[in-house]
Amino acid sequence: MYKMNGLLLFISLFSMFGCSNNETVAEQSEMAQTYQLVNPNATAETKKVFNVLAELYGNKIISGVTAHIDWNNKETENVYKWTGRYPAFNQYDFMNIHASKDVNPKGWLDYSDDTCVREWWNAGGLVGAMWHWQVPANNGTDKTSSPGTKPTETSFDPSKVFQSGTEENKIAMPQLEQVCGYLKKLQKAGIPVIWRPFHEAAGNTYEFEGGKAWFWWGAKGPEVYKQLWRDFYDYMVNQQGLNNLIWVWTAQTKDNVWYPGDDVVDIVGRDSYTALQYPLSKEFKQLSADYPTKMITLSECGNGDEVKMSQLSRIWEQGSRWSWFMTWYDYDYNEGNSDEHKFADEQWWKNAFAQPYVVTREQMKELLK
Amino acid sequence: MNRFLLGIMLIVLSWDTLSASERTILIGPKTIGPGWKDNILIQPEQFKNTGVGDMLTVYTIEVKRTAQMAFQDPKDWQAVSPEYGAVSVQGPVKMKITEDILSRIKERGLILGGHDYKITNVTLIPAAEIVETIVYKGPSLQMKDDWSASQPINKKVFKDVQLGDGIKFIVSKVQPGAAIKLMDMTWNLLDPAVNGAALGEDGFTWTISEQSQLIKLQLAASDGICMRVSGKGYKFEKIAIVRCTAEPDEDLSTAQRAPKEYKLQPGELFRGEKVFPNDWSGNLRLTAEPFQDCTPNDVLVVSYKLLPKQEGVWPKISFRENTGKWQDISGAEEPVWMDLNGTDIVLPFDETILDKLMTYGLVITGLGFELTRIELISAQ
Repeated sequence: MYKMNGLLLFISLFSMFGCSNNETVAEQSEMAQTYQLVNPNATAETKKVFNVLAELYGNKIISGVTAHIDWNNKETENVYKWTGRYPAFNQYDFMNIHASKDVNPKGWLDYSDDTCVREWWNAGGLVGAMWHWQVPANNGTDKTSSPGTKPTETSFDPSKVFQSGTEENKIAMPQLEQVCGYLKKLQKAGIPVIWRPFHEAAGNTYEFEGGKAWFWWGAKGPEVYKQLWRDFYDYMVNQQGLNNLIWVWTAQTKDNVWYPGDDVVDIVGRDSYTALQYPLSKEFKQLSADYPTKMITLSECGNGDEVKMSQLSRIWEQGSRWSWFMTWYDYDYNEGNSDEHKFADEQWWKNAFAQPYVVTREQMKELLK
Repeated sequence: MNRFLLGIMLIVLSWDTLSASERTILIGPKTIGPGWKDNILIQPEQFKNTGVGDMLTVYTIEVKRTAQMAFQDPKDWQAVSPEYGAVSVQGPVKMKITEDILSRIKERGLILGGHDYKITNVTLIPAAEIVETIVYKGPSLQMKDDWSASQPINKKVFKDVQLGDGIKFIVSKVQPGAAIKLMDMTWNLLDPAVNGAALGEDGFTWTISEQSQLIKLQLAASDGICMRVSGKGYKFEKIAIVRCTAEPDEDLSTAQRAPKEYKLQPGELFRGEKVFPNDWSGNLRLTAEPFQDCTPNDVLVVSYKLLPKQEGVWPKISFRENTGKWQDISGAEEPVWMDLNGTDIVLPFDETILDKLMTYGLVITGLGFELTRIELISAQ
């Protein structure tokens, strides 16, 4: 029966992609019209990137990596070293803004120097950003995004981020302004950012009894979280005038009640470290059904503690049509402490780039012209 | 009478000799593979003669550069002490037995876990055979939370260090989250394994297991500085060289032996001796990975041996989905238990079972048997 399904799937895929060029173009055009940016004032470059994503969606998959911790192109160089080609998408992280030299003389990196981002964009790469937003831990010295009552965790209340006069507001706003400053610089330079804040909010709430949020922004449950997202969106888009953002919300599956709303989300992502072809295919179908007006993407992926990620060719064969895939960075590999990349190694990438439906940076450059 | 006394003296002497040697308590090999999923329990009886101050040493081979070892309490799987939750493995790993650790391991034993190394054997050395010599008496230094403090150490301090010694950093005022970092004369890491390593009240001991480490300790700048001790959340006080004078005990008769390790043949998902005791504590988890290419009508064949019969215990087995909920693999609300009579169990895959196996994987649970083999047989 399963084999029969596989055959049927093959036939249906053949009929989908084996059709005439005119039909394909019509379908693509229809798809591109289905997906709309939520910000009507989005910059022309942002619209262009979004339209490219929409045109590719269902037919191709965009290759991506997460930058080494924060603000660099190290992981993309790994892929180039292994395959001779660059991935199309690099996602940075504002995790260490507290250590940025423009706000901290003792800092070890400089977000105000966005040369690496500009170079990446100018070479044809898509630019993404996420934010492991760190706030003071309960011990008053460490910084963390893990909620809880232990000294190294934080009791930071997400419901008070936009509440004037609260401690949370005093802590959050300068950081938020700082990040907006970096993003504005990119906007000024004509660089759109695929923006994925407040990811994995539900944590493992729905995975097992006793499961909970693992980031502070999810610690007070879905209603607070949704309001936080909406206030955050309003602040960045309407108050700060950031029109170069494509907003990606990360689902944990079974967490529809956490979804901030169609009017403030452009793309729905899924992070998976049990990235096997069969469960991925089920999750893709489920998310596509749950969010029919949004593109669905594999916003983080890699080998997990217990399972090795399926080859991209197998993931595709099983029917997943994620907008992009984004492998996670390996600290130890990049620091020279390990010979093997923990999340996606040379062999995995060679398999990915051997597939005609995988988009590289070189191809993306052509598409963005 | 004299003969009797002589006999007693000989017994005492031989016991003393025995207790003063490095005694093996676990014989490997035991592979601790990637992903924190492998572990081994050292039974409590191995610790019956253990005392406070004794040193437990885990000897390792096939260590990956990022390998970590965990010393866990079977009660809750938490580290026996915070600094032993994730210890970098660079060679033999040592743990000094404190009063708190002793009470735990005597009652419940000790789990060795982590990832990416193989245990060859585990030994215990009596406290009397461990000599600690203070080689640096200060000045002491408070390690601030911003990692900015560091104490330079002259190479003369380490002139008597030998291969196999431990260099112990004696500390006080340890805060939660305290960590140590060792740098060389040029402020680079002295050892990647000691880059924010957790430390506890007993300080931190850096084992010199390779010649290259000894050489690094003699590489100094013109001012003689060969090491800089840094970190956060503790007060650095002194340095001692820890040396063991015990000889290995040749008698392995009381040592626990790790279960045999087998190389899986094609189609095999498990091979070995995994006991499912009568207290229901046994289970085996299989991820969804080996099931990705399965088809309906494939079968799983489970082979086992029954444990010695016990009054009122009926050997049973149950198959569950590998999620937090452990729902029955058949989709039934209540767990389905199969009685075991010694013959192989065959689990055919219908669509429900196949979907669960491919999505979540499988947990096998039950009691009264020893699992020996699981084979996946294709319908083709």
